[in-house]
Amino acid sequence: MINAEFPRRVATLLLRFAIWIAPHDTHDWGRGMLSELHHVEGNWPALLWSLGGAGVLAKHAMLAVILPGSHRRTVSSASELFSKETPMRKTTLAAIAACVVASLLFFLAPVFRQAFQVSLAQWHDVFHISQRWLGHGPNPELEALAKKAEQNHDAEALAFVAVRAANQGNEPEAVRLADEAVHLDSNLTWVYAVVGTPCPTSAEIDRWAPALEQWDPQNAFPHLMVAEKIDCDEVEHGVSALKPREKSAAWQDAMAAAFQSPKLDTYFSRQRELDRRVLIRYRLRDPFQAISDGVSFGYGLPSYGIGDSDEYAKSLLESGQALEFHGDRKSAFEKYWTVARFGQMMGSATSEIFVQRYLQEAYQRLGGLSEAEGNHAEAAFYSSLKDRADQAVQRDLAALRANSRGSDLSHWSAFLVRFSGLVMLVCSGLLLICALGVFIRGKSLRLTALQPSSLSLAIGLFAAIGALLSSAVLYAGYRPYSEILQRFITKGDEAGLSELSNFLFATEVPLGAHGFLGVYDAVSRFWFVVTLLCAVALCFVLLIHFRLRRPATASA
Amino acid sequence: MKTPRLSPQTLRVLERFVERPTAWRYGYELSRETGLKSGTLYPILMRLAKFSLLETKWVTTEDGVPPRHTYRLTPKGAALARATFATARSMLKARRPAFSGGRA
Repeated sequence: MINAEFPRRVATLLLRFAIWIAPHDTHDWGRGMLSELHHVEGNWPALLWSLGGAGVLAKHAMLAVILPGSHRRTVSSASELFSKETPMRKTTLAAIAACVVASLLFFLAPVFRQAFQVSLAQWHDVFHISQRWLGHGPNPELEALAKKAEQNHDAEALAFVAVRAANQGNEPEAVRLADEAVHLDSNLTWVYAVVGTPCPTSAEIDRWAPALEQWDPQNAFPHLMVAEKIDCDEVEHGVSALKPREKSAAWQDAMAAAFQSPKLDTYFSRQRELDRRVLIRYRLRDPFQAISDGVSFGYGLPSYGIGDSDEYAKSLLESGQALEFHGDRKSAFEKYWTVARFGQMMGSATSEIFVQRYLQEAYQRLGGLSEAEGNHAEAAFYSSLKDRADQAVQRDLAALRANSRGSDLSHWSAFLVRFSGLVMLVCSGLLLICALGVFIRGKSLRLTALQPSSLSLAIGLFAAIGALLSSAVLYAGYRPYSEILQRFITKGDEAGLSELSNFLFATEVPLGAHGFLGVYDAVSRFWFVVTLLCAVALCFVLLIHFRLRRPATASA
Repeated sequence: MKTPRLSPQTLRVLERFVERPTAWRYGYELSRETGLKSGTLYPILMRLAKFSLLETKWVTTEDGVPPRHTYRLTPKGAALARATFATARSMLKARRPAFSGGRA
């Protein structure tokens, strides 16, 4: 319930503030309005009276800022003639305060806080705040979530953190959390696949692959993990064989098992669902944590998985050819068919591009075999499958190109967000410098004792307006992406997620760098400019110091 | 001599002043009599004062109540107001036959 006197009190405050910012020649009028306020009948009419009057005074204050000469006070004494123009200063100070307060009010909106956080992502590489791309960067938010999840025995949250820790290269933590998550809930054994993918050299793969195979025996994934581990061990010991025929029996067995498996699941959809549940449960709103993209690690497959499959498929096709040459068409057919079936599986799990070579060759050879046996209908069927695979490759290539380039809109929005974030930081810095300068000059913390110079006021006003405008641009630029994220978290709607992913990817590139390849050049340039500016500032300070000292020394 | 633009609202204010040309008037009183809000009334008063058509004075009314700002037309303002209303009346008279069906 509002106090009946409240509107009248607000009215008084409002008019007093308006008088404070108004030019001097309107003060009498303002005080006149204020004195009349005591005679206005009713509290709400009093507020209306005050609003009207404050509007008039504010208009004059604005005019005084735009046309400083239009509100000159009549000077009545010599001392006043040389005194500073306080009304003008008050108006400017009020404008600066209003802009700063309005900018700070933006921070009350969670969307804006998120946008500001995203705008800071470009500095991660510059200051090595989080070595997202080099790994081993501690993430306080994830650490806090891991602690909370351990306290709550929340297996899903532990799996959530494990996946992100693995993606950020924190292998020991990823292994520990994944094991704990599976220990609490064996239905999460699939986490071994997701966590193991970015950590192919981990000794845990020897333990995790059999566990995964036991949990999901039909999946080719654990066999691809084993094959990759063997590859990594061979590379580490310098015995990497180039031809599949020369590979170890263990590798051959793993790949044979993978090619015989009835399915290939990267557990991407399970991961997305788990992410959503954890994001909702813990109210996480960091878009970089929310969007854990499996695409960066070979579509969620072990990084050697595509190469290994390619090599093994080639060896199967060669052996099929040899069998065909010796007249064993049935065995040759089985070899070709194994390759074709695995290619179909792999193509739908990842992209048709990766299986294009051997899948099309397998169809071609199957068609050739059918033709040789006089089965023209079957030959035509394999030919149509080959054409369909070819079309799928073209489609995937176009999608990949569009995805890797990102839409113009996401790039433009990322630029706006990075630029407005940068302007906000620069303007805040300028405001801070102005405030410090005024306090140092005034040698007091009392507001009445402070006498800001015209330069400080001009820079302060410029910075405050800049901060307000950049805040508004940052908010408007980020809002559509926040809505996409919100829709994904609350409704599971994945529309626009790739756009969001492209946008976030682009926001991590520092302004001025052309893509990730130019990040390190941009970082070097940035630090070069900072060093140069520091050197110039030092020279300037020394120059002032010696110029001020010289007369003193001369008089001494 | 430059004079302010005489809008219908300004005329309403001047009319109130002309009724009692020597009396000092309060802002709230004028607002109630003319039906104008403070956001409209004060710019008019300020403009009239700027052209020296209006004079202002602070008056103390009673103990504990802040002094009030009062307004009155200057002789120049009163002359302008009278002239304006005289012109308006004569124009009205001249137009009346046209609207009264020939009964002047």
